[in-house]
Amino acid sequence: MPNQPEANNWPRWFDPRSRSLGTFGFILNRVTALGLTLYLLMHLIALGQLARGADAYDGFIALVKNPLFKLGELLVIAAGVIHGLNGIRIALNSFGIGVRCQKGTFIALMLIALFIIAFFTFKMFSEG
Amino acid sequence: MTEQLWQVHFKVHRQRTGGKPYVRTFTLDVDPEEYILDAVERIWALHDRTLTYRHACHHSTCGACGMRVNGREKLTCITTISSVTQNGGTVRIDPLRNFPVVSDLVVDMGNFFLRMDRSGFNSVAPLAAACLPYEQPLTAENSIDHEPERLVDCIECGLCISVCPAANTDKEYVGPAVLASLHLMYVQNPTQEFIDQADHHTGLWRCHSAYECTEVCPSGVDPAWRIMDMRKKVMSDRIKSIFRPRSSEKKNAQPA
Amino acid sequence: MEEGGDPHAELDRIMKTTQPSAIVIGAGFTGCALAYDLAQRGFAVTVVERGELASGTSGRTHGLLHSGARYCVTDAEAAIECIQENMILRRIAKQCIEYNGGYFVALDDADLGYAPAFFQGAQNCGIPVEEIDVQRALAAEPALNPKILAAYQVPDAAFDPLRLAMAFAASARQHGAKFNTFHDVVGFLRDGIGNICGVSAVNRHAGQPVDFRADITINATGAWAGKVAEMAGISVPVRPTPGVMVAYEKRVTQRVINRLCEPDDGDILLPQRRMAVIGTTSFEVEEADYIPVYPDQVKQMHQRAALLVPELENIKMRGAYMSARPLIGGLMSGRSLSRTFKCYDHQTDEEVNGLVTVTGGKATTCRVMAEKTADLVCQKLGWQRACETAQHPLADYHLYYS
Ligand SMILES: Cc1cc2nc3c(=O)[nH]c(=O)nc-3n(C[C@H](O)[C@H](O)[C@H](O)COP(=O)(O)OP(=O)(O)OC[C@H]3O[C@@H](n4cnc5c(N)ncnc54)[C@H](O)[C@@H]3O)c2cc1C
Ligand code: SF4
Ligand code: FES
Repeated sequence: MPNQPEANNWPRWFDPRSRSLGTFGFILNRVTALGLTLYLLMHLIALGQLARGADAYDGFIALVKNPLFKLGELLVIAAGVIHGLNGIRIALNSFGIGVRCQKGTFIALMLIALFIIAFFTFKMFSEG
Repeated sequence: MTEQLWQVHFKVHRQRTGGKPYVRTFTLDVDPEEYILDAVERIWALHDRTLTYRHACHHSTCGACGMRVNGREKLTCITTISSVTQNGGTVRIDPLRNFPVVSDLVVDMGNFFLRMDRSGFNSVAPLAAACLPYEQPLTAENSIDHEPERLVDCIECGLCISVCPAANTDKEYVGPAVLASLHLMYVQNPTQEFIDQADHHTGLWRCHSAYECTEVCPSGVDPAWRIMDMRKKVMSDRIKSIFRPRSSEKKNAQPA
Repeated sequence: MEEGGDPHAELDRIMKTTQPSAIVIGAGFTGCALAYDLAQRGFAVTVVERGELASGTSGRTHGLLHSGARYCVTDAEAAIECIQENMILRRIAKQCIEYNGGYFVALDDADLGYAPAFFQGAQNCGIPVEEIDVQRALAAEPALNPKILAAYQVPDAAFDPLRLAMAFAASARQHGAKFNTFHDVVGFLRDGIGNICGVSAVNRHAGQPVDFRADITINATGAWAGKVAEMAGISVPVRPTPGVMVAYEKRVTQRVINRLCEPDDGDILLPQRRMAVIGTTSFEVEEADYIPVYPDQVKQMHQRAALLVPELENIKMRGAYMSARPLIGGLMSGRSLSRTFKCYDHQTDEEVNGLVTVTGGKATTCRVMAEKTADLVCQKLGWQRACETAQHPLADYHLYYS
C-alpha cells in the first residue's frame, strides 16, 4: 500500500508535500545533517592525505583553492549555522521550553542564520 | 448562506480493496458554507452509491471523518467548502496518510485504536484535567455540588498521525495522539507505567519536532506540547532514578 | 427431519440445543445494543451495516442522555423508561458519558406556569428533581441568561455518540458477534417454503456480493426500516423525521440546559467536549440518505440558543447537522412492545417468517429496546436465556477493533 509507512524508506524524509513550516524545519535539519556528515568524511580523507606525503597534500590543496570548492565551504558554514541554531530550538523544546512559540523561534533563528550566512558570503568572496 | 451556489469539482480518490487507485471527478452545485463531508455524503447519496467513507457525528466529536482535502488533513464535517476552494474550483479528497486504505476514503483505524487503548486513554476526565495544563481551567464556581467532568479533547481522528513526517517512515512509531494520551493520563495519575511506555525509541524519542500534529489537530489537543512536556517529565524521572535504590529496575516496556 | 417423529417437536429439540444464529441489519445504537444482547444470550450474531458504525441517525444524534424530565408531562411512559435507562447506562457506559446533570430553566411566565406540572410529573416518574435557587443556579452556570425565573436540577448527561455505539459493539464482539460494516443489504434470502433465512448484501469495500444466513433476521435500520422491509415485500410505515443541531466553538455551560416548557424546537443546549450543541427541530422527509442543512433552521436554533445563553449570540458556529428520527406513522397493526418504540414480528403480522423489525426509541433507551426485542426473538426460537446487559459494564470501546 503506497500510503503506508515503510521501514528504510528514508527518501520520504524529504517529502514536503501538504505539510507546513514545521516539516520544512525537519527537512532542513536532515539535509544539513547529511551535508555536515559528508563534509566530515571529506575532512577525514583530507587529513588522510597529510599522512601520504607532501606531494599528495599539495595536489589536494590546489584542488581546494578552486572557487567551486569555496562555494562548498560556504555551504558547510550555512549548514553548520542552520543546523546549530535549529538544534538549539529543538533541544530547548525537548526540555519543554518555548514549545508554544516554536514557530516564531524557528523563523527568528533562520533569519539570524541568513544574516550570518550573508556575512560569511560577503567576507569570503570579497577577500577573493 | 444560500446567497449563491458554487460549482465545484470534487476529485475523489477511489480504490476497491486491494485494487488500483484512481481518481473520479464529480461536479456539484454547492452552498459554499456547506461542509466537505456533506458534499461527500451527497455524492454517495445521489451520484455514486459505491463511494465509501467514514463518518458519524457530523460535529467534530467522534473523529471518524478525517480525510485529506487538497492534500491537507482535515476533519471534513467542520471544514466548509468556501475555506478550501472558490467558485468553479477543484477540491481533491484523499484518504489519510500512514493508515492502510481499506477502500476509497476509508482507512483502517484498528491498530491506532488498540494503541490508544494500551496507552490507557480515558475518554472522560475531570474538567480541570481535560483542559490543557497551560490553559485557565473552567472550574472554580462552576462546581457547586460535584467536580464537573467532560469528554477529553482527543477524538482519535488520526489526523496527527497522517501528517507526521516521523510516522511517515516508521510504522512502529506510536504517533502523536498516543503520546499525548500518555501525557494526559500521566498528568491525572503520575505513575511509572506511563513514563515507561512513553520512554521508548518508538515512543517519545521518535518525534523529530516537526510540530505538524499541533498544526493539524482539529480538537485543541496540542500533541506536540504534550510530547515535549512528557519528555521533560521523563527526563526528570531519569535524573531522579539515579538517586533511587536499584530495586525498581526499569523494564523498558514497549509503548502502546 | 426424522421419519415418524413429530417434525415440530424435532425442530424444537434441535433449536433448543444448537446455538441459534441471528442477523442484525443496521449498526446504530439499536443494532449494536441488540447484537450485544443476543450475543450475550448465546446467539451467533452477524451484524450487517452499509456504512461505518453509527453512520445513520445514531452518530448524528444530539447526544443527550435523557433524564426523562423532557417528557414527564407529555409522555410519562417514555419518561420512566428514560430515567431507568439513564441510571443503567451511567453505570455500564461511564466511559463515554459526561455526567454533569442538567437544569430546566424558566424564561417567561408561560414557562413558570408549566413548572408545577413539570415538578409533579418528574416526581411521579421517579426522576430525581430539585428546585434550585436562581442565584445558586447562576453561580453554578454563570453563562446562563441572568433573567431566568426558576431552575430545576435533573440527572441529564451528555454522551459521545460513536463511542457509545462502539462500546456496545465491542461488548458484542467479546461475545463473538461479527460486524460487517460497509455491507449494503440488498435483498432477503428465502428457504424452500418462503421463510426468510438470511440476507444478500454487497461488500462495498470489495464491490462484491455476499450472502449471510441465520435462523432469524432483525431489521434495526431506524429511519430506513421501511425501505429495508420493502425488500421483503412488507410495509412498515416509518417516515424519516429529521431535526437540526448546531454546534458552537465554546463550551458555555457544564450542565445540560433545557428550557422549562413542553417539548419544542431548540429547547435543549448541551455541553460536549469544548462545544455547546443546541437542538432540535422536527419535520418529515421522504428520503433520509441525504438531508441538507436548512439555513433558516440554523438561524432559528441560533436565536433559541441565545435565549438560554446570551453569549452564544456572538460565538462562532462550529458545525450544523441533520439527522432523521424514525417516525412511526398511522395506526399500526403491528404489535407494540412498548409505546416508545415498535417491534414487529412479521410472522404474526404479514405471515413472513424469520424477520423482525425494531424501530423508534431513543439513544437513551437503546439497551431496553434491545432487551425487549431479544426477548421476542428468544421466545420465537424457543431459546431460554436471560438478559444480563444491565448488570455488567460495557467493554472498552477501543476493543471494537480487537
Ligand atoms: C435530531 C435528533 C436528535 C436526537 N437526539 C437524541 C438525544 O439527544 N438523546 C437520545 O437519547 N436520542 C436522541 N435521538 C434519537 C436517537 O438518535 C435515535 O433514536 C437512534 O439513534 C436510532 O438508532 P437506530 O440504531 O435505531 O437507527 P440508526 O442509527 O439510523 O441505524 C440504522 C442503521 O441502518 C443502516 N442501514 C440502512 N439501510 C441499510 C441497508 N440497506 N443495509 C445495511 N444497513 C442499512 C444505516 O446505515 C444505519 O447505520 C435523536 C434523534 C434525532 C433525529
Ligand atoms: S491528537 Fe488531535 S489530531 Fe491527533 S487523533 Fe487526537 S484529536 Fe486527532
Ligand atoms: S463526523 Fe464525527 S468528527 Fe467529523
